[in-house]
Amino acid sequence: MSWWKLLGVLLLTYVIIAGFTVPLKPGIALVSPQSTASNSTLKLSIEGYNTHFESGKQSLEAWLRLDSIHGVQASTITVKNENLIEATFAVGSIENEFADATLYVNNNIDKTAFLPSAIRITKNGDESNFSKQLIPFDRLSSKPGFLFPYREILNETIRNTFFHVALWMAMFALLIVGLYNGFQYLRTKDIIYDSRASSFNMIAIVYGLLGLATGSIWARYTWGTWWTTDIKLNMAAISMLIYVAYAILRASVDDIDKRARLSALYSLFAFAAMIPLLFVFPRMANVISLHPGNGGNPALGGEDMDNTLRMVFYPAVIGLFLFGRWIATIRTRIETLFYKKSQLE
Amino acid sequence: MKKSFLLILTLIIPILLMAQASQDFLRSTGKIYSVVAALVIMFLGIVFYVWRLDKKVKQMEDDWDD
Repeated sequence: MSWWKLLGVLLLTYVIIAGFTVPLKPGIALVSPQSTASNSTLKLSIEGYNTHFESGKQSLEAWLRLDSIHGVQASTITVKNENLIEATFAVGSIENEFADATLYVNNNIDKTAFLPSAIRITKNGDESNFSKQLIPFDRLSSKPGFLFPYREILNETIRNTFFHVALWMAMFALLIVGLYNGFQYLRTKDIIYDSRASSFNMIAIVYGLLGLATGSIWARYTWGTWWTTDIKLNMAAISMLIYVAYAILRASVDDIDKRARLSALYSLFAFAAMIPLLFVFPRMANVISLHPGNGGNPALGGEDMDNTLRMVFYPAVIGLFLFGRWIATIRTRIETLFYKKSQLE
Repeated sequence: MKKSFLLILTLIIPILLMAQASQDFLRSTGKIYSVVAALVIMFLGIVFYVWRLDKKVKQMEDDWDD
């Protein structure tokens, strides 16, 4: 057994265990009501996730942020249980027609849980008896430790990053290996390169189809639908159709050399077609996508990926690639045996 | 044709089953079970491919005997 096969399996084992057991940071799941008028008293019910409102009662504070630095602190907080509080805010006047206020709940155990645009405040009069305060940003901090970030709507499904996203990355790496071997076949006409190229392309196609299926489930529980007209979904589906045609092409040609030449040429075309479909079109200006990281900024940078996610995501990509390489080498060996047998006859 | 039909079936049946399953369950505990569902689909898809490879080897074994 080669070391990389074991490494692939170990990495995937680590990914499944860490990917499912590392907890999420404390977050705010739901507030109600979700809108109010300025210059009024607001009684807000706040539902937390992985929070310790009861245990951290002594240091509990809640803030509504009205502009970049100012906000209002909750005058009273009633703790119902670890994950539920009721806070009363005296909301003052706002400058614009409306403000989407971010909610911060802070305590010693959870540090700061926050919900961006938690409440829409509509303007109701200019004068105010309520005073605004400076938000104590020095006191607000994220809970330290090996914890995955909490995002509203995504919740625990942020863990799909290690499966759905990693499948696409591993697919792309496998396709590059397949493409390289296709080139080598066209250069040398050695049939071993055709076996390798087709094996790597086939497992990559399987990964791609699974990427579509896992993405569909993720979409169902976050965007609320199995499939949308999102550009990345449709472009990925088109590039998968192009690659499925590759599999059909191979199945429909019986002559070994002809099949090798045709499929190597076709895979060049398929790969060249995939680059604009997956990497250029979704990043073009004026393209709206539900996927993170579109419209110029890559998904792996910025705030969509944090370092704790990366510590599981990169092993997932490498593990899936090595596992795919293992399956591809098994198929290569089968193909080689087929070829040797056909030479004997 | 039969193979690709089976492939599609393998991927779609779990999705349909989940659509029938209690929405409350899949949405409970921060929707963690939808991640489990994605992992199960991934596993089944790879198993299906390995099963097809297995059939290929079987075909060669049978040819060898002839």
